[in-house]
Amino acid sequence: MAEPEVQPKTQAELETFREFKASFYYGSRTDLLFKWLERLPDDQGAEFLAGVLRLLDGAIDNGDVGLLLEHIYEWNVRAYRPHLDHHEFHWFYDDSPFTPMAKPLAESRLALFTSSGHFVEGDDPEPFGIKNMTQEEALGRIKDFGKGEPQLSTIPSDTPVEKLVVRHAGYDIRAAQKDANTVFPIERLREFQQEGVIGELAPNAYSFVGATSQIRLKKKFGPEWAQMLKDQAVDAVLLVPV
Amino acid sequence: MSVGHIARAFEEAGISTVALTAMPFHHVPERMKPPRVLITPHISGRTISAPGDVARQREVLLAAFKLLEEATEGATLRTMDAKYQPGPAG
Repeated sequence: MAEPEVQPKTQAELETFREFKASFYYGSRTDLLFKWLERLPDDQGAEFLAGVLRLLDGAIDNGDVGLLLEHIYEWNVRAYRPHLDHHEFHWFYDDSPFTPMAKPLAESRLALFTSSGHFVEGDDPEPFGIKNMTQEEALGRIKDFGKGEPQLSTIPSDTPVEKLVVRHAGYDIRAAQKDANTVFPIERLREFQQEGVIGELAPNAYSFVGATSQIRLKKKFGPEWAQMLKDQAVDAVLLVPV
Repeated sequence: MSVGHIARAFEEAGISTVALTAMPFHHVPERMKPPRVLITPHISGRTISAPGDVARQREVLLAAFKLLEEATEGATLRTMDAKYQPGPAG
């Protein structure tokens, strides 16, 4: 049987390497685990991908992915180096506020606060008034999230992890979906409370979507949330970004 | 960035904080100067560990608690002496 004729692509259909890299960043191949590919100059992007293919040799022959993981890690770090940052960074400070711990952690009330986008099943913050927004829908609205006000979800500290939902358009949530403790370590904190490492957990943990208006966070919500925690006699906070 | 703003706001209000940061983003706390930051050897989206790695989760949190209690001044950044590791299979 004759092979079907393959029509050559038109110039408009050909994808450049730059476009290929960018496609992982909210494009046709969106994969937030590798969204940083678009930050790399073409030559470095090629170097990264060539390394992945080269290191698959070991994985193919003996299942050893150690060197491959190291390669991905090193390039993830490299991609976010400031000289590659074409997204403007405004937040430079000369000072650093500091409140010493008033008492040992074993006598303190600790709260968990994350920007991971967790909430309790049934208590969806309904961003933009949308009920049951999917992760896919959230990805399509990443720019809206970045301009909007943060919504803080209250999560009782005894919430079973099976009752947690995560939705966030700014990072790869697959690890958090498999195990909340990768970014929302509530089970570990409960254990540490039982073991006496922490005096007590605050009644609630808190989470919001960190892709939000930074100005409003700095000027309004950060101070408001601080007062909320003071009213709850929280001594210390563990903060987890994503 | 969000956690940097929160850490500064909470600390200014009199609440002690310790923040985690995955290594790819270590330049953010270097610029924002939150009070205490533990830098973890993990990839983006897995700040504390790979899924299922309870030992690494405990290790990270205990290191964070140590920093919380030991720091004596703001902008104390500490990098964990560890390498990235995947979680258990399955």
